[in-house]
Amino acid sequence: MIKLKKSFPGVIALDEIDLEIYKGEVHALVGENGAGKSTLIKLVVGAYKKDSGEVYFDNQKVEFASPAQAFQSGLSVIYQENSLIPQLTVLQNIFLGVEQFTSLGIINEKEIYRQYLQITKRLGFELSPDEKVRNLGVAEQKLVEILKALIHKAKFIIMDEPTASLSENEIEHLFKIITELKSNQISILYITHILDEVFRIADRITVLRDGKKINTVFTREVDREKVITMMVGESLKNAYTSTFSKKKKSQKVVLKVENLKRKSRVNDISFIAFAGEILGITGLRGAGKTELSRLIFGADRLESGKIIIDNQPIRFHTPLDAVNHGISLIPEDRKKDALILMLELYKNITLPTLEQFSPGGVISRDKEFTATKKAIEKLDIKTSGIRQVTKYLSGGNQQKVAISKWLQAKPKVLIMDEPTQGIDVKAKVEIYHIVRKLAESGVCIIFISSEVSEVVKVSDRILVLSNGKITGEFEYGVNQEELMRTILKGSK
Amino acid sequence: MAKKKDLNLPGYWYLISKNGILFIFLLLCILLSIITPGFLSWANILNVLRQSSIIGIMAIGTTFVIIGGGFDISVGSILVLTAAMCVGLQYYMHWSLAILIVLIIGVLIGLLNGFLAAKIHIPAIIATLGTMTIVRGLAYLYTGGYPLYVEAPDFAYIGTGYLGPIPFPVILLIIMVAFWQFILERTRFGRYACALGGNKEAARLSGVKVDYYHILTFVVGGLMAAMSGVVYASRLLSVTPLAGQGYELDAIASTVIGGTSVSGGEGSVVRTLIGVLLLTIIANVFNLMGIHIYVQYVVKGAIILSAVGFDTYSKFRQ
Repeated sequence: MIKLKKSFPGVIALDEIDLEIYKGEVHALVGENGAGKSTLIKLVVGAYKKDSGEVYFDNQKVEFASPAQAFQSGLSVIYQENSLIPQLTVLQNIFLGVEQFTSLGIINEKEIYRQYLQITKRLGFELSPDEKVRNLGVAEQKLVEILKALIHKAKFIIMDEPTASLSENEIEHLFKIITELKSNQISILYITHILDEVFRIADRITVLRDGKKINTVFTREVDREKVITMMVGESLKNAYTSTFSKKKKSQKVVLKVENLKRKSRVNDISFIAFAGEILGITGLRGAGKTELSRLIFGADRLESGKIIIDNQPIRFHTPLDAVNHGISLIPEDRKKDALILMLELYKNITLPTLEQFSPGGVISRDKEFTATKKAIEKLDIKTSGIRQVTKYLSGGNQQKVAISKWLQAKPKVLIMDEPTQGIDVKAKVEIYHIVRKLAESGVCIIFISSEVSEVVKVSDRILVLSNGKITGEFEYGVNQEELMRTILKGSK
Repeated sequence: MAKKKDLNLPGYWYLISKNGILFIFLLLCILLSIITPGFLSWANILNVLRQSSIIGIMAIGTTFVIIGGGFDISVGSILVLTAAMCVGLQYYMHWSLAILIVLIIGVLIGLLNGFLAAKIHIPAIIATLGTMTIVRGLAYLYTGGYPLYVEAPDFAYIGTGYLGPIPFPVILLIIMVAFWQFILERTRFGRYACALGGNKEAARLSGVKVDYYHILTFVVGGLMAAMSGVVYASRLLSVTPLAGQGYELDAIASTVIGGTSVSGGEGSVVRTLIGVLLLTIIANVFNLMGIHIYVQYVVKGAIILSAVGFDTYSKFRQ
């Protein structure tokens, strides 16, 4: 039914992917973060422009200019974060853009209800149609999105990690509906990391790695081991022959957290971290990594648990408290949380430590500029000058700014949340070196990343998080495959 | 790529876009001095400056509020309340004490505005809409609805006196602009105001006490509105509860014409002053040319839209 073929050469490219999805098939697309799954979807629906290649939909060659156009043609994507309008009701959302009108131009509520009932009956579930979407749970919102796709006559639905924030019951329900969709001859491309789900519902599996298609297999012909090997690759077993050699670990515990808890996202987490250590924390998306980092930094309120720095229990209320106790955080979302993009470089770099440059409240330009220049040199930030507006730096350089703003604060614990996300390979390696250097100078680095290959390479010790709990701990030298297995196993 | 290059190498385009308002202002002055002969006379220049002083002082506070990501439409009401009290309190006490009290009142209203916006999380424009109404009501209650008068030659000096050849309110305006420009550019408070206006969450995660500084910007807004109220009272020596209506809009207009970003994060007190002068000059010239005041409204509105539109559209294009 669908044949995708595209070459997209380049560094972060997708390379000559062929993918065929049959009518009424559930096809799983699996691969690690950065394998190219999202890029693939975006190319198909026209969110990105492809370099070459073709997309066939219903045996017709198509060229979608935008996701909206794809949607009109019957190709829907259900993204992780929903695209519904929270203030509108279930019905209003579902029929948005395809409202039925009476001859007078008034919305024909009757007809809309009729269609709604017809379709919900077919799928065997009910939602109160006049409820506002903002009052629904995540799972119900997913259902609304599916309904919306069906009302828009979707023949092909792409689901991007649909179970990421669902409970077990809700996942069951979703699977039932997927089966129902299948029997209605609707095709589904199911994108996930979670192999359990794949084996339960997929007819076939396609594995992507580093922008390349590894293989497409029938689910009944393979087992988990084989899929994991396809995902991480045989050769990567040697990945720990890297340049980031492990130094002798100090025995000084600098950070200790006990029974941290907040909602269900961080559920009873305890660990210790040593001075001069790079402690990697990994896990799937939604495992609670970012939430954990924000708790330790005082950005969110702790429900219960203790944070102990240098043997002193500390009660945080604000990030400022954390900073004053020697904890720094480089947040995951660089543009939203880490930097003030509209301000000049030097204003970003000196922001957390401005007091050092402003005795009595008045900023000393000389001191501030000298410190900024030093910081730029130290991390080799590529910029036209200290007055450059941060927005215009490349991703890698922005990340360096986000790191360098904390160096002057001389933190004891530096938490880095996905520090290499969205930056090119060269910048990544530079960041690894910076991280190692900092650790050697005695800083305890908490290196949070969902990219397994990088965690393995960089960390002295690794904690695996899933569903808000620590499910594994590994020393440096762990086999990537083994780590991957722990990550996937704990994710039920 | 080409766009990036421009910003890396601040050429004359960069200078124009950064100081566009100054170029327009100078151009307008030259143009006007040619068509209206009386325009560049010493008397008229002083007149323009003196007319600008009340809005100018008020707009300094507005600039801080907008840079901090807020909005304050209560300043016109603060002006009338503080002006009325400044006159009324002089029946009981020395004028200097009255000034001190009304400045404190300005600070307190600013605190309330800041508290409502930063702590209670009412959108700033709505919070100050509420306080605007309350404060206007207080002004009516205080005056009983009638104009208040005062005879005080010493007090009148603030609004009408001269220091050498220059009117005192003009000197006060210039001192205030210089002082607050310094605060904005060279102090921690100024920097933090820009940071939280630019991205409040990022500022918070950098260890900035964002709520505190957010409130502080409103305090500056209240304080400067009260100071403009003092100048107003001293200039007219009489205050009706109807005074100061629409002043907040002029203050906001001057600020945005001066290039302070409506979404917060960047701006300049000096450029706000230029914005104030621009609006005053246009009114001044229309008066000199005998054009009806109604036309002035239309032109003023058009200027506001073009100034802000230029800013927002060029950002959108990026």
